[in-house]
Amino acid sequence: MRQTILRALEEVYGNLVHMIAEFLPRFLVMLIIIVIGLLAAVVLKYILRALLGLTKLDRVSDDAGASRVLRMAHLPPMTELLSRSIFWVTWIGFILVGLSVLRVAGLQEQISRLFQFLPEVFVAILILFLGAVIANFLSRTALLAAVNAGHPSPKILSWSIRFVIWILAISMTLEELGVARQTVISAFSIIFGASMLGLAIAFGLGGQDLARKCLERYLGDTKKKEDKEPQPL
Amino acid sequence: MAEDVFLSDDLLRQLMSVGEVDLLVGMSSHNAANTVRHALDAIEEGLQRNFVRQRVVIVNVGGGDEHEDSVVAQGHGHLAEKGVRLHGITSLRTSHRVTANVSGPPSPGIALRTILAAADLLRARACAVVSPAASNLTPDSVANLLRPVYREKFDFVAPLYTRNKYQGLLARNLLYPMSRALFGCGIRELFSDEFGFSGRLAALCLNQDVWHEEAMQARPEAWLAISAISSDFRCCQAFLGEKSQATKGLGTDIVEVLRQTVGTLFWCLETQQSWWLECGKSQAVPTFGPAHELTSDPTDLDRHRIFEMFRSGVTELEPILSSILDPETHSEIKSIVAVEEGKFRFKSDIWVRTLYDFAASYHHAVINRDHLVQALAPLYRGMTYSFLLEHSDSSPAEMEAASEVLCGEFELQKPYLMERWKAKVEVKS
Amino acid sequence: MTRQKDNLWYKDAVIYQLHVRTFCDSNADGIGDFAGLTQRLDYLQELGITAIWLLPFFPSPLRDDGYDIADYTSVHASYGSLEDFKTFLAEAHSRGLRIIIEMVLNHTSDQHPWFKEARGSRENPKRDWYVWSETDTGYQGVPIVFVDTETSNWAWDPISKTYYWHRFFSHQPDLNFDNPAVFEAVWEVMKFWLNLGVDGFRLDAVAYLVEREGTLCENLPETHAIIRELRKRLDLAHPGAMLLAEANQWPADVRAYFGDGDEFHAAFHFPLMPRMFMAVKLEDRKPIIEILDQTPEIPASCQWFIFLRNHDELTLEMVTDVERDYMYDEYAMDKTMRINRGIRRRLAPMMDNDRRRIELLNGLLMSMPGTPIVYYGDEIGMGDNIYLGDRNGVRTPMQWNSALNAGFSLADPERLYAPVISNAVYGYQAVNVDSQKRSEHSLLRWMKSLLQVRNAFQAFSRGTIQFLNPSNHRVLAYMRQFREETVLVVNNLSSSAQAVELDVQRYKGYIPIEMFGRNLFPRFGNSPYLLTLGPYQFYWFQLRRF
Repeated sequence: MRQTILRALEEVYGNLVHMIAEFLPRFLVMLIIIVIGLLAAVVLKYILRALLGLTKLDRVSDDAGASRVLRMAHLPPMTELLSRSIFWVTWIGFILVGLSVLRVAGLQEQISRLFQFLPEVFVAILILFLGAVIANFLSRTALLAAVNAGHPSPKILSWSIRFVIWILAISMTLEELGVARQTVISAFSIIFGASMLGLAIAFGLGGQDLARKCLERYLGDTKKKEDKEPQPL
Repeated sequence: MAEDVFLSDDLLRQLMSVGEVDLLVGMSSHNAANTVRHALDAIEEGLQRNFVRQRVVIVNVGGGDEHEDSVVAQGHGHLAEKGVRLHGITSLRTSHRVTANVSGPPSPGIALRTILAAADLLRARACAVVSPAASNLTPDSVANLLRPVYREKFDFVAPLYTRNKYQGLLARNLLYPMSRALFGCGIRELFSDEFGFSGRLAALCLNQDVWHEEAMQARPEAWLAISAISSDFRCCQAFLGEKSQATKGLGTDIVEVLRQTVGTLFWCLETQQSWWLECGKSQAVPTFGPAHELTSDPTDLDRHRIFEMFRSGVTELEPILSSILDPETHSEIKSIVAVEEGKFRFKSDIWVRTLYDFAASYHHAVINRDHLVQALAPLYRGMTYSFLLEHSDSSPAEMEAASEVLCGEFELQKPYLMERWKAKVEVKS
Repeated sequence: MTRQKDNLWYKDAVIYQLHVRTFCDSNADGIGDFAGLTQRLDYLQELGITAIWLLPFFPSPLRDDGYDIADYTSVHASYGSLEDFKTFLAEAHSRGLRIIIEMVLNHTSDQHPWFKEARGSRENPKRDWYVWSETDTGYQGVPIVFVDTETSNWAWDPISKTYYWHRFFSHQPDLNFDNPAVFEAVWEVMKFWLNLGVDGFRLDAVAYLVEREGTLCENLPETHAIIRELRKRLDLAHPGAMLLAEANQWPADVRAYFGDGDEFHAAFHFPLMPRMFMAVKLEDRKPIIEILDQTPEIPASCQWFIFLRNHDELTLEMVTDVERDYMYDEYAMDKTMRINRGIRRRLAPMMDNDRRRIELLNGLLMSMPGTPIVYYGDEIGMGDNIYLGDRNGVRTPMQWNSALNAGFSLADPERLYAPVISNAVYGYQAVNVDSQKRSEHSLLRWMKSLLQVRNAFQAFSRGTIQFLNPSNHRVLAYMRQFREETVLVVNNLSSSAQAVELDVQRYKGYIPIEMFGRNLFPRFGNSPYLLTLGPYQFYWFQLRRF
């Protein structure tokens, strides 16, 4: 019995050693890949930063209002953000490649699935981000225009635009991620269509007088404004 | 890097025929054949009366309207045929008229750049830009713009006008005092369709890489003036008479006017910051002819509506204003919004600080810059209402005194702007 | 060589204007004479001129440089005798040179026997040969010609105790052409010279012959009637003799003096002259184009006479005030240079002795429509002396060589009628005929070649003119055409090089041949013809079709 146990232990030990002997080189290769990936990621980050600096992306981002969104989220400026993103994406990619070298059972398949899912995640994040920027920009544009035109409810108009764009962005994000695709599309269509129909009915039937007054005011306002405000220059 | 080509071969050919000139008068027209004819007559008469010996050319930057082109090209056929006497004056030299056709209505930026290029190529010593649509364009006004440059060696001539006391409030309460305080030069009419400049200034401005900037498309003349000031060129003002009424629509669309004027002014602060940050106290600008005058003709203004738009604007735009204004300034404005309409006053110090906050925020691009300028509109209305209330019975002299006080306030608070300009941006939600 | 029998000779002529006093002194008295002039006829023939216009050489007190005539049918003793004149005339004719003399009809000297008789008593038969008045108020508003020296057109005669009319100097009383006897006397004078053989008369001050109240006493219909009668008699008695009008008027007003080809054969185009100077200073062809556009058509037998300078001041009467001020400022900054609304300077000094400008102006003179007149001395670029009184600064002795008195006279320099020009730039040592004859590229040589080319083509003398008006206003270009001759003239009026595109499509296929070097230029095609010209350069192209 003692012999059997010893033999079993020897066998296990031998397997372990063999496993370690097989694993270690792969582990070292993984480490090397990760280090190379780190270097590549750093280089890419600096190259991208320099290129984006030449294109004055930060300035464009300021004008588009994206910088403000980033600041609100305590994120760095656009150039830095993209540079760092490319750093992490590159390095994570190398890390995942390195991990795949380990040939851990099941891990490769998960990694492979993760790789396939990653682009969709990026696109979804991008859609959300763009949606936030556009919503912010357009709602502010609408607010300013309405205020300066003397519109009675500028905030409602502004919030409506922000709401619509957010709904659209979230729907697109969920669809991109494949989360309850049919449900999301149907729900969006229903909500969006109903909102538009409701607004049309409310404005056209329920607010005939208001509609008429708004039109008159719009057409007449231009002349009234000219006559009743002092000439600025 | 090769400079972009923007002068057409046809224009170049015309310029070659003209050769070197002493004086150049430029204008921009589009589908305005009738007004062009009147303008040309006035310009020609002004040149023949006052500069009969000089070599002159009139450059019209037009939109390719054939009728308009024929009016311009008539030249000798209309005025100077066979040594005809124009009001008793004989033309000594060939009178040149050149047309630069651009596709579509020419923007003021394109028109000015074309005129500057023509002035540079023809080595013109003195130039003037006039508006063919201006009802106040007379032979004397052209001469008044050219004479200081040609005879007195100034580099930029801004116009001065007789105005109604409620006219030009944006210039009076914002553009003039702010530019005077920051750039150290008291030019009243930075934004005008009529001005004079030297060939030297034309050459300097032509070589700047700004012609594709958006701010240069609508109101490039202010940049020209500020470039002259910041390059230490000699500037002056010349009296041109009564200010003509602005064209319908654009002239009184306050938001659009703010975008073109204040937007350009803020942009100039950006591009010329190395000058104005070091600039000292403002200097008086020599004036030719009478100083600008104010008349007290009655006007019909809806003051209540102006006040209401101010009040609602400040309330509705609070989130935006909070990201632009200093908290102290913002809270002061919120407090005056609550004041009764009849007792409302937008004090000078608050107004100045408001503008400087806007300028600094523009510099730091806390929000989209165009939105930032638009957000100023309600506050400008508030200032306008306060001004109308305060000066409803003021004489022109009293209003001038108040204007001087406002200018003093802008100069006094300049350090405040400089501090905000150089400060790091804080994120505001 | 003899004169061609041609009644229209004056259209093809190149006239040389001189005063016998200034040209050459043969007897060492310090004054030029006919004998001396006769000695120099070879020079004039070689130069290429075809006619000589002599300034007044009649006996005279010389208070107006001979225009105050005291004897119409003789020669001033200083210039020789009538025999000397006849010899000169014969010698000139033998060289093919025609002679035009002055005939001052409007007035005489107050030393003329006619006037001495007329003023002697009111009953004298010749009393009515002049214009008398008890007061000086008649003919109000008539302008004074010599504004610098005269204050009125009436002068008081202390002998007959009345006023007499004078449009010029007070010592030049006007003849009264309302008196037929005056006309007959004048005609007799003209017949005298015609019989001797002169080829033509320049009638001085012809516009002022007749006076009428309520007018400016100029260009009156009666004046034209007198001229027509003179012309009729001239054509009958001496066909081929020419009458040249001196009428300083606008072209439209001078036109009347041609009549229907039955008055003057020729007249000076005064307004063109200052405009050529103006165009070069302005570097703009406009003044020339404008005045020629205003110049009316004249009868086929008639001719304009054109000139750059002459014995008088460069008159600025036929210009506007603005133009006059400009000319004064550009050409006569020193007020000493100005006299009687004009400029008393010669061509070369006005051009700052710039050879290119001198050539350009002579090129214009020789190519513009009309008969050109060369003022003596301008062919060598003589200077002037503005410190001599009146207009004598442009009437200094001809400069023949660098020897004593510029070769003009062997008299003592102090005895000369006027000092020779002797400054460093225009002095006779530097500017003279002999030195220019020796130099291949002198102005004199150039003038000879210019006249040679001009005389070879009637397109210049008789041709039509059509301006091309290129867009470059500094270039004056025109076509001259006569029968099968076509000449293209292109002038750069500017001090800098110019490029010009000429619209010559209607001459497509023609080959331009540059007329001085006889070199071929590219043929005219469908496109505008590009030429480049140096400062003040001009081209004459003969157009031929092959």
